[in-house]
Amino acid sequence: MTGVNLESITKRYGAVQVVHSIDLEVQSQEFVVLVGPSGCGKSTTLRMIAGLEEISDGKLTIDDRVMNRTAPKDRDVAMVFQNYALYPHLNVSENIAFGLRIRRESKEAIASSVDEVAGILGLTDYLERRPADLSGGQRQRVAMGRAIVRRPKVFLFDEPLSNLDAKLRTQMRAEIKRLHKRLGVTSIYVTHDQVEAMTLADRIVVMNDGRIEQSGTPMELFVNPVNTFVAGFLGSPPMNQVQAVLAKGANGPQALVGGTVIDLPKLDALQNDEGRKLVLGIRPEYVTIATKGDKNQVPLEIDLVETLGSEALLHALLDGVPFVIKSETIGQISKLDAVTGFTIDPDLIRVFDGETGDALPGQDRAV
Amino acid sequence: MTNMNLYSRNDKMFVYLNMFLVGVFTLSTLYPFIYIAALSFSSGFEARAGNVVLTPVDATIAAYKQVLSEPAFWRSYLNTFIYTIGGTLMSLAFIIPGAYALSRPQLYGRRFWNLMVAFTMWFNAGLIPFFLNMRDLGLLDSYFGIIIGFAVNGFNVILMRNFFEGVPSSFEEAARMDGANEFQVLWKVYMPLAKPAIATIALFCIVSRWNGFFWAMVLLQDQEKVPLQVYLRHTIAKLSDDQEFSVTLIDAPYSVETVTAAIIVCSIIPVLLVYPFLQKYFNKGIMLGGVKE
Repeated sequence: MTGVNLESITKRYGAVQVVHSIDLEVQSQEFVVLVGPSGCGKSTTLRMIAGLEEISDGKLTIDDRVMNRTAPKDRDVAMVFQNYALYPHLNVSENIAFGLRIRRESKEAIASSVDEVAGILGLTDYLERRPADLSGGQRQRVAMGRAIVRRPKVFLFDEPLSNLDAKLRTQMRAEIKRLHKRLGVTSIYVTHDQVEAMTLADRIVVMNDGRIEQSGTPMELFVNPVNTFVAGFLGSPPMNQVQAVLAKGANGPQALVGGTVIDLPKLDALQNDEGRKLVLGIRPEYVTIATKGDKNQVPLEIDLVETLGSEALLHALLDGVPFVIKSETIGQISKLDAVTGFTIDPDLIRVFDGETGDALPGQDRAV
Repeated sequence: MTNMNLYSRNDKMFVYLNMFLVGVFTLSTLYPFIYIAALSFSSGFEARAGNVVLTPVDATIAAYKQVLSEPAFWRSYLNTFIYTIGGTLMSLAFIIPGAYALSRPQLYGRRFWNLMVAFTMWFNAGLIPFFLNMRDLGLLDSYFGIIIGFAVNGFNVILMRNFFEGVPSSFEEAARMDGANEFQVLWKVYMPLAKPAIATIALFCIVSRWNGFFWAMVLLQDQEKVPLQVYLRHTIAKLSDDQEFSVTLIDAPYSVETVTAAIIVCSIIPVLLVYPFLQKYFNKGIMLGGVKE
């Protein structure tokens, strides 16, 4: 099967460099999600793989063949666009069949392929309709049908769900996941939605400012982010990041947040350098709420409680700094308004260098 | 129509004023058609006496009998069809690919080529150089000269180019991913999407070719090749100068005016018939639904 390999891939528009020498190896059948904020270079990277943008420097190989100067049609990749890009003058059947017709496949083969794909995507009843007569979800399915009917070596998805409403997005996300399981085609998916990234990916590549910040499985990135950018990007709500100063406590290292003391994990990197600036990464779901009288609590001022059903978000101030807690509601809904602080296992705190934002060594946990 | 009860007094006044102005404009445009049609079906005497205003007076089809019995009329009619159909197809064959190329960001020297096309909208060589050019190319007195000589119009190219530029680039990219080459992208994606623009330009070409008079008069000496408009001018001049025709006119059921009007009616009918077939493309947003805005 097919893998995609990017070696020192660079993209420049005149003097402006938007992708900075990135390296990425996508394994055969892997589902890789490129995620990052707008303008981070993820779509440009995808378009370079597709052949819709020239590669300024570096080497792109698909299936061990160098593709830098190969036309999109000869790369054997298919792409699903953010805005569907369905041909409005053709009906669903003709849209799906377009690529096969261009490749002059026989009428029988085209009809059979279109029927099969329409069956997979639940489009059989809509084959005669034009795109204008379809709902957003149906259009997106047609766009996927057009991609899969050619049985390409690689699927490329450019934010395919961002035009759908929240409910449909969840539904289509599951369909894409099912489709990948069924077809097993190497897929590269671009999104700025970390939920899509977490749910779909075998591997997430977090990009920022034209560079890869971190690449790994969703849980690796969630549990062991390499820097504050990745920590702040993945997770909903994102990881709390609290500025602190390293201090020496009786039982090990501690962090001073204003006048508040928080116990830290016993890392080698925290044994010296008292007064060192740190950033404490605390996942909202890792803390336990505490009420008046509970021991060893880190005090908070609760500002707002958002009840979401099975869980609630507590917006608070930790020594004047915004801090969010995610708490279960079942059995403790009455306590939420009386929260005065939280407790946390020091080993669940991710500690970053206050200057560089990089995670301190020796604290990665098994996932 | 929007419920007028929801309009303020000033808005209502504005709407009524607009309706009045549109009505006046419509009547002023429509009246010449009605007058010419009425004139063509009136008797020669009443027409010359100036008694025709809105409807035929002393109705007769004598003028049409006179016009349709002339072989030269039919010849010029056929010529006009040849110039119109041939010219329009030739124009579209040049304008569509030319405009597509000019709309592509990857076209080398794109700004320069666009400027060159736009330049022809403001400046041209003028009558004599153009005539000499056509003569030197051996295109005087030829069907092909009329058809090719005016095939490309800068305004139409820019119009078409602007339409192509408005087509989302994802259509082209999707077609390329599907395996289409440059020609297939144009033929199978852009041209179907551009039907409204093509229909508009085709109508411009058809009307312009159908009414073509000046250059045909300059470039064509052979009366067998002249289009209807030139024939019309010849006919008016001939009948006006024909003393015998003028003398017999008092008793004749037709006159210079009715014959001229009959030729005009015959000449505008085809254009009126074409318009409804093209009109549907003007109002239809064919791009609807293809991309999510």
